[in-house]
Amino acid sequence: MTSANFDLGKPVARITAEAVPQQAIADLMDGAQRYPLWGHLAYHDIRQRFRRSMLGPFWLTLTMGIMIGAMGLVFSTLFKQDVAQTLPYIAIGIIFWGLLTNCINEGAQAFISAESFIRNVPVPVSVHFYRMMARNVFIWLFNMAIYVFIVAVFRISLDWSAILFLPGFILFLINTAWIALASAILSTRYRDMPQVITNVIQVVFFVTPVFWSPSVMSHRPAFVALNPFYHLLAIVREPLLGTQPPVQSWLFCIGLAIVGLAFTIWLYRRAHARISYWV
Amino acid sequence: MTGARDIVSVRAIDGLNLEIREGERVALSGHNGSGKTTLLRVLSGIYKPRAGSILIEGKVGALLDSTAGMDFEATGIENIYLRGYMLGMSRREIASKVEEIADFTELGEFLELPVRTYSAGMFTRLAFAVSTAVESDILLIDEGIGAGDANFQHKVQQRIESLFRRTPIVLLASHAEGMVRQFCTRRLIMEHGKLIGDEALAADEVKMQPHDALATTSELR
Repeated sequence: MTSANFDLGKPVARITAEAVPQQAIADLMDGAQRYPLWGHLAYHDIRQRFRRSMLGPFWLTLTMGIMIGAMGLVFSTLFKQDVAQTLPYIAIGIIFWGLLTNCINEGAQAFISAESFIRNVPVPVSVHFYRMMARNVFIWLFNMAIYVFIVAVFRISLDWSAILFLPGFILFLINTAWIALASAILSTRYRDMPQVITNVIQVVFFVTPVFWSPSVMSHRPAFVALNPFYHLLAIVREPLLGTQPPVQSWLFCIGLAIVGLAFTIWLYRRAHARISYWV
Repeated sequence: MTGARDIVSVRAIDGLNLEIREGERVALSGHNGSGKTTLLRVLSGIYKPRAGSILIEGKVGALLDSTAGMDFEATGIENIYLRGYMLGMSRREIASKVEEIADFTELGEFLELPVRTYSAGMFTRLAFAVSTAVESDILLIDEGIGAGDANFQHKVQQRIESLFRRTPIVLLASHAEGMVRQFCTRRLIMEHGKLIGDEALAADEVKMQPHDALATTSELR
């Protein structure tokens, strides 16, 4: 076979059955580069949800604020603690727990809900995953308005070490991303997974120090010390409260990111070419 | 499929060898389930082959579902953007075409309203107008394209002609014999995933502009 008019200006694609697993990384990279597409779709998702409502996406902020306010008051009364201590802790806990678990829960539907899109529009499948992540990061931004409000009201003193929030947040997002992508792949193949995941997350919510603090315990039980979600929350929550997360939490999250990414990329290599058949 | 135990496996494309060169406008014929849509999905990269290889030179555009990506709650203009993104256009590209698309639809102020307020005909018109604005080297079309009422037909014809003329390779899976006769230079007939016929057609429509683009497959399954 000859291609006499080989033109460098034209994209050339060679698709061979043997090379399919190797294209997993390319799919993830190409997908990431389509940010105008998934960014727009994520923006559209949020716009769509609050169309014709007066407050619009600020309902996100308000809903979260009401929940945090109520939980803060109830728990500070129950545990006889100072609201100024409890409320900021609970607020940040719930905001980040929301980001983490919404990504995992919606991740389960990321490919399934994009079925007709995947079958009819030739874009890297990972675009649908990035769309879901971007949507939840947008929502998180609206929720972070509450944090700003709390810092002002409770006069939380932040020094330079608060900058550690940035690497903490990046590490948090990397871990969220691999769990969410694994959830997306497994849920597309096994349709019982979304239900299983929802239930697991509900249980994990209570054993993870989201709204209660392990500092009230004499020692940290294993379900806290070995709970990845505890460490993930610690590396973003502590810097935002003006304190330092323990070194173990950093190490735990770095290790988790490496192992988790390796696992998910292995999974994606096996699965990405079949997602369009599975949906 | 009801459960893991009754897995049905289908070989939708079987040992397909094909070469399509620039300037060819190919009609894919065959009964429902003969593998036409699957072939278009494989060529567009949506389905990955289990064996064999594909070589594509040129930017592929796919009109497999001419309404894919559209949202009934969004306005007409927003849908032009949504659909444009689906077709692989950039924001700037869509912005430069939005006026022309809007003009073509003759929908006027309706474009500011949510698409759910449209009649079926208006909706088809909008979808058609955006879909046919696509710029690609290789265009894959499923089940034909078309829109609208009688007095709109002339404009639709012109627009399809212009799309076919500026696109180096067109693959059209269609049962619409009229359109095939008018535009296509070659007909491929498929049955049970196999190619059973390959014949030249004399398209009525004028000659195409020179381009180079190429799509070939070998032993594709």
